[in-house]
Parts: sequence; C-alpha cells; structure tokens
Amino acid sequence: MNRKATLFFLIGSIVMAALIPLAVIADRRYERTDIPRIAIIPDMDKMPYLKPERSSDLFADHRGMRPHIPGTMAREDFIFDNMAEQRAHPNNWKKDHVVLSNGKQFQRVMYGQVLTNGQASFINHIPIPVTRRLIARGEEQFDIFCAPCHGYNGQGNGTVNIYDSELRAEGESREAGTWVQPSNLTLIGVQALPDGGIYDVVTNGIAAMAAYKDQIPVVDRWAIVSYVRVLGLSQKKVPAYRLPATVRTELTNRK
Amino acid sequence: MSDRPFFVFPRWSDTATKIILAAAVLIPVYLVILLGYGANARTLNVNYQPIQPVAYSHAFHAGKLGINCQYCHTDVKRAAFAALPPTQTCINCHAAIAPHSAALAWIRKSYKTGMPVPWKKVNDLPDYVYFNHAAHVNAGISCLICHGHVNEMTQVYQAKPLNMAWCLQCHRDPAPFLRPRNEVTNLNWTPANKTRLAKDLGLTTATLPKNLGKYLEKRYHIPNSKLLTDCELCHH
Ligand code: HEC
Ligand code: HEC
Ligand code: HEC
Ligand code: HEC
Ligand code: HEC
Ligand code: HEC
Repeated sequence: MNRKATLFFLIGSIVMAALIPLAVIADRRYERTDIPRIAIIPDMDKMPYLKPERSSDLFADHRGMRPHIPGTMAREDFIFDNMAEQRAHPNNWKKDHVVLSNGKQFQRVMYGQVLTNGQASFINHIPIPVTRRLIARGEEQFDIFCAPCHGYNGQGNGTVNIYDSELRAEGESREAGTWVQPSNLTLIGVQALPDGGIYDVVTNGIAAMAAYKDQIPVVDRWAIVSYVRVLGLSQKKVPAYRLPATVRTELTNRK
Repeated sequence: MSDRPFFVFPRWSDTATKIILAAAVLIPVYLVILLGYGANARTLNVNYQPIQPVAYSHAFHAGKLGINCQYCHTDVKRAAFAALPPTQTCINCHAAIAPHSAALAWIRKSYKTGMPVPWKKVNDLPDYVYFNHAAHVNAGISCLICHGHVNEMTQVYQAKPLNMAWCLQCHRDPAPFLRPRNEVTNLNWTPANKTRLAKDLGLTTATLPKNLGKYLEKRYHIPNSKLLTDCELCHH
C-alpha cells in the first residue's frame, strides 16, 4: 500500500468514527427509548422529599401517599375540594358554595338523606341552590363521568356499550365479559327516583354500576343529578295536543 | 557538509501541516455540532417511553372510546398534581369487561391487595421546579401543548422537552396557545369550527373576537409576562 492510500484510509476511518456519536444522537432524538432523561449535571434534580405518588423507604410498604384509615375522612374531602375549585376559578363557585350550618344539612348534602324518627329516607329535592351555573357544571361533569357508558343523551348507549355490542355481534369469544347495558336515564324508571336516590346511585353505585364517590366531589354529584333531570325533561314524550300551537303547525308542515 | 541546513522538514510535513490546519478548524466545528445537537433538551428529554406494568392504551381508551382525560386524571383542574387513576377507576369497567384478560393481571392483583400499580413516571421535572396543572388548564392551555397527541399514543411518551427555555417561550407570550377553558381536554379542537367556538364562549358567530388569543388572555385574567418570567414563580 502506498502512503497516500494509507492516509486516505486513516482520515476516512476517523470521519466515519466521528459520525457514530451523531448517529447515536439522531437515534436518541427521533426514536422512542426506555432510557429516562439524561441529566448532564444532575445537581438537585432528585431530592429526598416526598412528592405525590412517589415511593418512600420510610414505610414498610413503600407507599409515599398513605392510604385512608378506615372510618375517617380527610378534612379537605368535602369542604376543601370545592374551595380548591373556587380558588382555581375565582368566578365559578363563589355563589354556589355550600354552607354546612348544622348536622342535618350535612346529612342532606353528604348522603342525600333525612332521618325521620330514626328512619333514613332519600330527599326529594337537591339540597343546594340549583342555578344555571350548577346545571352547566352538571352537563360538563356528566359528559366526563357518565357519557362513556350512558351516552351523551343518557339513553344508555355510550361508546363502551357500543364497543361491547360490536364485540358480541362479531361473536368475539376470547373473553366472556359480564357487561350489562347501562340504564336509560331518560325513562320513567330512573326519573321517578327522588333526587337523593339518583345522588345515592352516583355515590355508592348500584348492581353492575360502580361507586363514583372517590372520583366526583359532592357538589359535582348534585350538579350531575340536576343534569340527569334536564336529560329526562328534554327527552320526555309529550302528547302533541300539549305543544304550543306554533310548534304544532310547524311540525305538521314539516315533511 | 557545512552548507547543509541543520534541519530539513521532510516532504510529508507539507501534507501534515494541511491536515493539522484542517483538523484545527474541523474539530471545534464538530464539537460544537456534537454538543449543540447532543446536549440539547430536545435530544435528552423527549421520546422517553418506559415499559409500563400494564399495557394500557390511551389511543384506545381516550381515542376510540373517547373517554375524557378527567375521568381518570380527575384532579387535573383542581390541583397542582394531575394524578394517575387509582385501580378502582379501571375496575369501574373492567369488573365486567375483559375481566380475565392476561393484560390486566396487575390490575386484578392491585385490586385484591390494595397495593398500587407501579406505573413509571413519564414526564418528570427536576424537584427544584414548581409546576401546577390547575393554573395552566384553567387558563385555557390544552394538554395537547405540553403532552402532544396523547389520544393517539398506544403507550405514553414524553412529547415535549419541558426544559426551562421551553416553559419560558410560552410564558413570554401565552396568547397564541390559549383556547376556551372547556375545550382543554378535547385534543382535536380547532378554532376553525366557529359555531362551536361561539357556544364555548357564550357568544354568537357574529360577535366572535378577531384575535382569540388576546381576547382569552383578557377574559381569563392571565398575568403579564413580567410576572410569568419571574424566577420565583417556578423556583421557590
Ligand atoms: C362503567 C359504566 C357506567 C358509568 C361510567 C356510569 N354508569 Fe350508571 N349504570 C351503569 C350500569 C351497567 C347500570 C345498570 C345497573 C344494573 O341494572 O345492574 C347503571 C345504572 C344507573 C342508574 C339506574 C339505577 C336504577 O335504579 O336503575 C342511574 C340513575 C345511573 N346509572 C346513573 C349514572 C350517573 C349519574 C353516572 C355518572 C356519574 C353513571 N351512571 C355512570 C353503568 C355506568
Ligand atoms: C381510562 C383512564 C385514562 C384516561 C381516560 C386518560 N388517561 Fe392518561 N393515564 C392513565 C394511566 C393509567 C396512566 C399511567 C400509565 C401510562 O403512563 O401509560 C396515564 C398516564 C398519562 C400521562 C403520563 C403521565 C406521566 O407519568 O408523566 C399523561 C401525560 C396522560 N396520561 C395524559 C392524558 C390525557 C391528555 C388524556 C385525555 C386525552 C388522558 N391521559 C386520558 C389513564 C388514563
Ligand atoms: C369506561 C370503561 C373503561 C375504563 C374506565 C377502563 N377501560 Fe380498559 N378497556 C375498556 C374496553 C371496552 C376495552 C376493550 C376490551 C376488549 O377488547 O375485549 C378495554 C381494554 C383494556 C385493555 C386490553 C385488554 C385486552 O385483553 O386486550 C387493557 C390492558 C386495559 N383496558 C387497561 C385499562 C386500565 C389500566 C384502566 C384504568 C386506568 C382501564 N383499562 C380503564 C374499557 C375501559
Ligand atoms: C403547561 C404544560 C402542561 C399542561 C397544559 C398539562 N400538563 Fe400534564 N404535565 C406537565 C408537566 C411539566 C408534568 C411533569 C410534572 C412533574 O414532574 O412535576 C406533567 C405531568 C402530568 C401527569 C403525571 C402526574 C403529574 O402530575 O406529575 C399527568 C397524568 C398529566 N400531566 C396529565 C395532564 C392532562 C390530562 C392535562 C390536560 C388536562 C395536562 N396534563 C396538561 C405539563 C403540562
Ligand atoms: C403554553 C403556555 C405555557 C407553557 C408551555 C407553560 N406555562 Fe406556566 N403558565 C402559563 C400561563 C398562561 C400561566 C398563568 C396562569 C394563571 O395564573 O392564570 C402560567 C402560570 C404558571 C405558574 C404559576 C402557577 C400559579 O400557581 O400561579 C407556574 C409555577 C408555571 N406556570 C410553571 C410552568 C413550568 C414549570 C412550565 C414548563 C414545564 C410551564 N409553566 C409551561 C402558560 C404556560
Ligand atoms: C416558567 C418556569 C421557570 C421560570 C420563570 C424560571 N425557571 Fe429556571 N428552570 C425551569 C425548569 C422547568 C427547569 C428545569 C430544566 C431542566 O429540566 O433541565 C429550570 C432550571 C433552572 C436551573 C438549573 C439549570 C440546570 O440545567 O441545571 C437554573 C440555574 C435556573 N432554572 C435558574 C432560573 C433563573 C435565574 C430564573 C429567573 C430569571 C428562572 N430559572 C426562571 C423553569 C423556570
């Protein structure tokens, strides 16, 4: 080999070697990786204090967030979650927040029940002021928590139910689920329940439906009850003669 | 003998000089490229996609089934921390759907023992930075801007660098990133849908503001950029 060839070979390999780090970087930049972020100077990135959902060696089970002690409730569970909302939305809840003046009111708001002669029964009316804002809030929360199963119109055919019936129609046999169709909330069966009864279904669940008390704060549950009433009223079948005359003529003229 | 110079550069030294000069120029350029490209947050932070204990798919649950982010991340509008869903949330459906699936083994185990599923944290800021979800989400900033199209991800990965320059690029001028508050979890939202926009804002299509960003900035009382770039906001 002559000198020139050696030289080219040498420079060539150096250039090729110099490309390797660039290729590694390009791979890191454009491909998914299961290597966590690389801290070049990790100064105080990870400190030993507890952040939410972080594990801790202080406890035998390594749970940094301690579970609830049975029979107790966190102070912020009721009053403060609504206040946090209020802080986040200064003009949202100012007027509607609940004042717990006494134990009776607490019983009505928390459990949707009243005690008469030691006998608990569901209350007929939502125990907090039903405002336009509460109903709007109810619609928003219903769409988040109930619509996947009961559908946006409350008729019991949300996306999960549609998906499940598709699986069944295809004769999908890989999994024998026990899904039952969610109730139609617009029908008399549900609409005849007292407000406290619907609140109780959301809070504690019923038969095949799970409890939502851990996911939805108290005031939002009442907001949802108000919206369930809206769904019922707006989809109620009314005899034609009870409609206003203008609406009736419009309907009869429509082809 | 005596008129011969004391030292003669050999012939190859001409080539060597050229090579050394070229190297003196090229190596610093190379190092700058290497550092700029390699030690940059886009390279170091983005695309982290850990293997999770349960093969849970956002593309299916949040995308195809259309479940709202808040069904699972319930605290995102209320608290600083967005919170992953407890096992009970999955059991709401999975008690009846795919109850014996091998993919859900961890969920059943966790439900039985009460021990949480050891999800791996994907987006993770250094501990000396304070971040608050409620403040951003209630100011009309969508999950999309900071987490990318989660509703199309089979497995979540970090989509944005989340470094300081990235945070500040928005804090200097948040207006272009704003949208109506009740659309923040709708990752397919577009301002082009005028009727929907009017409904969200409680206006009519005729009275829609010309500059949506500036209008929302005023309506949601977004603090000025001087306040939003104060070091103490994020480091305290
Ligand atoms: C995971 C799916 C699912 C979700 C989410 C869900 N439900 Fe249900 N719901 C059901 C099923 C299934 C039933 C039927 C229960 C049965 O008959 O066994 C039901 C029944 C009901 C009933 C009728 C109870 C009765 O006495 O017949 C009401 C009222 C109700 N749900 C309200 C709600 C409200 C309000 C929400 C939102 C907070 C909600 N549901 C969310 C699945 C769901
Ligand atoms: C059915 C429940 C569910 C829904 C709905 C849901 N998520 Fe998640 N999300 C999870 C679970 C469980 C994890 C943890 C496992 C993982 O990272 O894949 C998670 C993780 C995440 C993470 C990563 C958290 C981290 O560790 O940094 C982000 C970001 C996220 N979700 C955003 C969203 C957004 C945006 C939506 C709405 C489009 C959404 N999620 C809807 C259950 C849900
Ligand atoms: C609103 C109802 C609902 C909720 C809540 C829900 N899922 Fe699902 N999930 C489904 C449906 C429907 C399927 C499809 C089942 C099938 O394909 O057989 C599914 C499928 C899955 C699968 C794939 C199962 C298989 O065998 O392929 C996994 C894994 C899964 N879910 C994890 C989770 C986790 C983890 C959570 C809690 C963060 C969760 N899901 C919450 C409705 C739900
Ligand atoms: C302004 C940017 C931004 C927006 C908007 C945003 N996030 Fe995040 N998110 C982050 C950052 C930064 C982290 C990492 C926080 C940390 O490590 O302390 C994070 C973390 C998370 C986590 C993991 C748990 C936690 O709090 O650390 C979840 C879940 C999550 N985000 C969901 C959401 C959802 C759902 C939305 C939309 C409703 C959303 N985020 C909107 C920036 C954002
Ligand atoms: C897309 C725009 C955007 C991005 C990206 C963004 N922010 Fe913000 N941030 C805002 C806006 C707008 C506010 C003002 C919210 C308000 O007070 O109404 C804010 C407020 C804050 C606050 C004050 C919260 C409070 O409690 O008052 C902190 C802290 C913060 N941001 C940290 C961060 C960090 C850390 C990041 C990067 C991981 C980040 N932000 C990324 C727009 C953004
Ligand atoms: C919008 C929030 C925000 C503001 C305002 C802010 N920072 Fe930061 N800062 C961050 C974030 C996020 C990081 C973490 C960067 C990373 O992930 O490497 C950081 C990191 C740092 C670091 C460590 C850098 C490293 O790589 O080790 C220093 C030093 C710092 N910031 C100084 C400042 C100073 C000085 C100011 C005021 C001029 C300031 N920051 C304002 C969000 C902020």
